[in-house]
Amino acid sequence: MIYDEPRFLPGGDRFLEIEFGNELNLELNFRAQALGQAVAAEGIRGVTEFASFFSAALVHYDPDAISLADLERELRRLLDTVTAADDLEIPSRLIYMPAMYLDPWSAEAIDQYIARINPNKERDPDFVARLNGLEDARQLVRVHSGTEYWIAALGFWPGTPFMMPLDPRCKLFAPKYNPPRTFTHKGTIGMGGGATAMYPVDGPGGYQIFARTPVPIWDMQQRLKPFKEAPYLLRPTDRMKYVHITREEFEMIERKCEEGSYEMNIVEYQKFSPKSYREWVATLDLNARF
Amino acid sequence: MLEVLKPGLETSIQDWPGRQGYLKFGIPWSGPMDDWSFRLANLLVGNAPGAAALECQFIGPSLKFQRDGVFALTGADMQAKLDGRPVPAWESIAAKAGQTLELSFAKLGARTYVAIAGGFANEIVFGSRATFHKGGIGGIEGHAIKAGQVLPVAPGSGAPGRRVKAAARPSIVADKRWSIEVCRGPNDDWIDEAGHRRFVDTEWKLSSKSDRGGYRLEGPDWSFTERAYNKPPEHGSEPGNIVDHGYPLGAINLAGQTPIILVNDWPDGGGFINPYTVPSCAFWKLGQSKPGELYRFKVVTVEEAQALAREIAALCSVASIEQ
Repeated sequence: MIYDEPRFLPGGDRFLEIEFGNELNLELNFRAQALGQAVAAEGIRGVTEFASFFSAALVHYDPDAISLADLERELRRLLDTVTAADDLEIPSRLIYMPAMYLDPWSAEAIDQYIARINPNKERDPDFVARLNGLEDARQLVRVHSGTEYWIAALGFWPGTPFMMPLDPRCKLFAPKYNPPRTFTHKGTIGMGGGATAMYPVDGPGGYQIFARTPVPIWDMQQRLKPFKEAPYLLRPTDRMKYVHITREEFEMIERKCEEGSYEMNIVEYQKFSPKSYREWVATLDLNARF
Repeated sequence: MLEVLKPGLETSIQDWPGRQGYLKFGIPWSGPMDDWSFRLANLLVGNAPGAAALECQFIGPSLKFQRDGVFALTGADMQAKLDGRPVPAWESIAAKAGQTLELSFAKLGARTYVAIAGGFANEIVFGSRATFHKGGIGGIEGHAIKAGQVLPVAPGSGAPGRRVKAAARPSIVADKRWSIEVCRGPNDDWIDEAGHRRFVDTEWKLSSKSDRGGYRLEGPDWSFTERAYNKPPEHGSEPGNIVDHGYPLGAINLAGQTPIILVNDWPDGGGFINPYTVPSCAFWKLGQSKPGELYRFKVVTVEEAQALAREIAALCSVASIEQ
């Protein structure tokens, strides 16, 4: 459900959560991102943080600079202007991300989980394929890599993207691990709920995993060019497209990334138009699969 | 300059209010957990209240002064000694080059702050010197201090013999029972009335599985309203699951049935509800409590919580310092 009026939910003495709806819907994220841009452009006194998530946004404010009531009023005013704007365009880079699907490292992490934690766990690619009515893991690869992903938020860990498929024919669903996995390789790509995410560092995890990229998304050493400004690669409202690579290419790219010589493929001239996007989606057969 | 002889248990450089403005990239604020004691430590040595100082957790470090300096200790009592002689807390003290400041375990409270005149001059990363050690950002090489390191100190001119008035100090409880302010929300309407009553009627135990990212609480199970069950599938299968959203600092995050208070190095988003939020005025209590201690939560309104934060801010001023 998309709420007619967003819900303003205070979180303690200095945070406010704005909930735009209670479903995973790109339109809600466009609204949250557009509001975030308007807040950044106009500047609301006392607001130091605005972080959009899927269908909500989190605002931090200084209660000595602005009251909660005034903050709500300002946000509603900006929201009215962005909602009314039919020709809204959102800056959006397109990042081509090399990815090896059905890779041996994800398989290793799954094997470890099956051996140590849950012997009955169906292997992730087969499980996600079956759950979504796909023929097999190969079709899961076609469907999952058949779309650009919208970076709806960064969070949980620094630089970690939460992404949604822009092509509705590539929508997939996957429950999270229960209990979670104790180990996942850095660069692993997986799904939880309707979202796709990537692991910026080695660590525990709960997503169903079936691919891996050799390209870092978090690098404190800032070796590659796109990291020159910051240790994180991705920004909210970027788009990502996975490009299939072999194991040999994975190892070659991994080496180049370590040397700092890998040339990333990032396209920067486009803007994202929710209106054109809507018009395109309206022409699609939503039940079709690649 | 201060040389680290023994690092203590995860001692880190922090500044206040920490690294703000990068939440949308997933970077938390960090900063001192007991910001009340922290600010007073800086004021004692003539620094700005937010200047970079050390946060010592549970077991403090041993530090050798490489040149003369003025320092102050606030927060937990770690039985500090300067060249073997006990030194008082809440007071600025002169140290000579070559002297060693030795902190032991925390007898009362959990975190001691060591401010030094001039403040630490480690590199500023994203607008802050604070350490976010899980992410490897800030502090010294991104992590807690290590033996053998030399901590850079900016020039400063503090005076010894300045004291924090007794009435301006936070009072750390001796009986291990804390009353912690909370505000309802943002997701309080997912919990039913019985669940809310249970929350305020319970003495929650702070779990040993707690750190600067989250404080796990042990207590009874939660019960939910219709909203937690009757929802689209993308929220997830557990009643406490919600479409991934942002987490406020201080949120009581319900991971399954385990409430986790999200503190300074917090993960800023995920798929669990936050029925309550601990406001900033109660953070010093979180910072000074040890695993095994007990929390009872007291519900206050947003306005009351803001007023309490203002009272603490008023105490964190030079008016609280006497010669």
